[in-house]
Amino acid sequence: MRAALILALAVLVTAACLLLALSRDAPQHASLEPPLPKIAPAPEFALTSQDGAPVTLADYRGKVVAVTFILTMCTTTCPILTPMMSFVQDQLGRDFGAKISFVSITVDPERDTAEVLQQYAQSFGANFAGWSFLTGTPEAIRDVAQRYGVYASKTANGDVEHTFLTSIVDPHGILRVQYLGVRFDPEEFRRDLLSLLKE
Amino acid sequence: MMYTMQDRRRFLATLSSAVAAGLIGPSNSVAQEAPPETTTIRLARNRSICIAPQYVVGGLLQAEGFTDIRYVMTDAGMGQSKMLASGEIDFTLHFSPILLIPIEAGEKISIIAGVHVGCFELLAIERIRSIADLKGKTVGVPDLGTSSHVFVSSMAAHVGLDPAKDINWVRSPSISPMELFADGKIDAWLGFPPEPQELRARKIGHVVVNSSVDRPWSQYYCCMLAGNRDFIRRNPVATKRVLRAILKATDFCVSDPAGAARRMVDGGFTTQYDYALQTLKEVPYNKWREYDPEDTIRFWALRLREAGMIKSNPNKIIAEATDWRFLNQLKRELKG
Repeated sequence: MRAALILALAVLVTAACLLLALSRDAPQHASLEPPLPKIAPAPEFALTSQDGAPVTLADYRGKVVAVTFILTMCTTTCPILTPMMSFVQDQLGRDFGAKISFVSITVDPERDTAEVLQQYAQSFGANFAGWSFLTGTPEAIRDVAQRYGVYASKTANGDVEHTFLTSIVDPHGILRVQYLGVRFDPEEFRRDLLSLLKE
Repeated sequence: MMYTMQDRRRFLATLSSAVAAGLIGPSNSVAQEAPPETTTIRLARNRSICIAPQYVVGGLLQAEGFTDIRYVMTDAGMGQSKMLASGEIDFTLHFSPILLIPIEAGEKISIIAGVHVGCFELLAIERIRSIADLKGKTVGVPDLGTSSHVFVSSMAAHVGLDPAKDINWVRSPSISPMELFADGKIDAWLGFPPEPQELRARKIGHVVVNSSVDRPWSQYYCCMLAGNRDFIRRNPVATKRVLRAILKATDFCVSDPAGAARRMVDGGFTTQYDYALQTLKEVPYNKWREYDPEDTIRFWALRLREAGMIKSNPNKIIAEATDWRFLNQLKRELKG
């Protein structure tokens, strides 16, 4: 009788420890978060990378990819976004490049040539194994920005004003979530990227 | 303790989202992102510039598939609500109470999101230091039933005054009440951008209430996105796309107020860049996700009842004239 009681107690304690360990290891709130919605097939694009190579969205099938829009001459809020993504890049460890990629598309293709983008990327510590900076013809850029729902417009003095939007595309090419502006939570962003690897 | 509260709030929010997601079900499928049912959209334009997101949304609406974006001239008060109900405009950002009064009267308006707080400032002569001090004083309004009349009446009733008897309303449809106030002909006046900015720059009067920062007004949406109910019923995809564009435009106002002010000037919505920029920096445009729009309906319905302007209870208005489906979906799809 006593042995059975000890055994039951041991089972209970073990289960409690296991539960505690699991709850510690699991990303916070991950089990409570509903899956990211499936918004639509992500708009395709065919652009040119910082090293002159052609890049399409289809190249990223099988990976989770974050697509964002930048311009290197921006001095106001844009410089917040790229360092934030660089921070998340480092947090992703070995998954970055192998399973998760970033794509930053310029909305100022006339000034942001492949060379300019390369320098910009290096200045923010971008790891080219998983992060591409893309440019293209003004028409191609305008088209892809519009299809992602980004507004970009050239002002009279040649600057470009634009809305900030970072989109996550799942391994099947489906747009799953978009982040407005540059103030989004990097931890939530990282969690959302990882959640798609587990689906 | 702080973290515990945060976690609990987050847990409840997550739970609500999960429940909502379950209820919405198939509407979260890829199929929901079909092209809009109509490519024409008509929005209001008027002398108020606090509805800035509505004025900078053009490019974002184009990105959503709208090719014919029209701005229809309206007043900034009840006339705008009536044009919305009659289908002369499809959507507008409008002051919540000015939507609730015609809704109670049976007008076909649906409120689909809260967008921003603030906008209004009550300026008064030195002797007036609080709302209660308005008793027996002259307050200028363009007319009875306008936004400023409804708001001041609500504030007065909230502190125990009878707005109909205790305030001497000066109706001035032709001369702006702001000018009457500047000329010393009235004691107080409630305005929305760009007029309070202009009066402050001229150092005339002092601010008694600023609805961007003063409670309880700052805790509820000023402007909510409302649509013609038939349009929303016929065009659910277009409705969601309009709301998404407005929310992005709202974010643009926060991220790049100078760019948004420039867009408003370039688009001919205002000639006063400085006041537009000041408005964009002062009005809290970053609250669309934070507050519960239903709380705003409840709050204003109760204030309007206190002021004797409506009789319905808030739940009836919420049941009949709100539609949060699109907002709830976009809260999941648009983070940040």
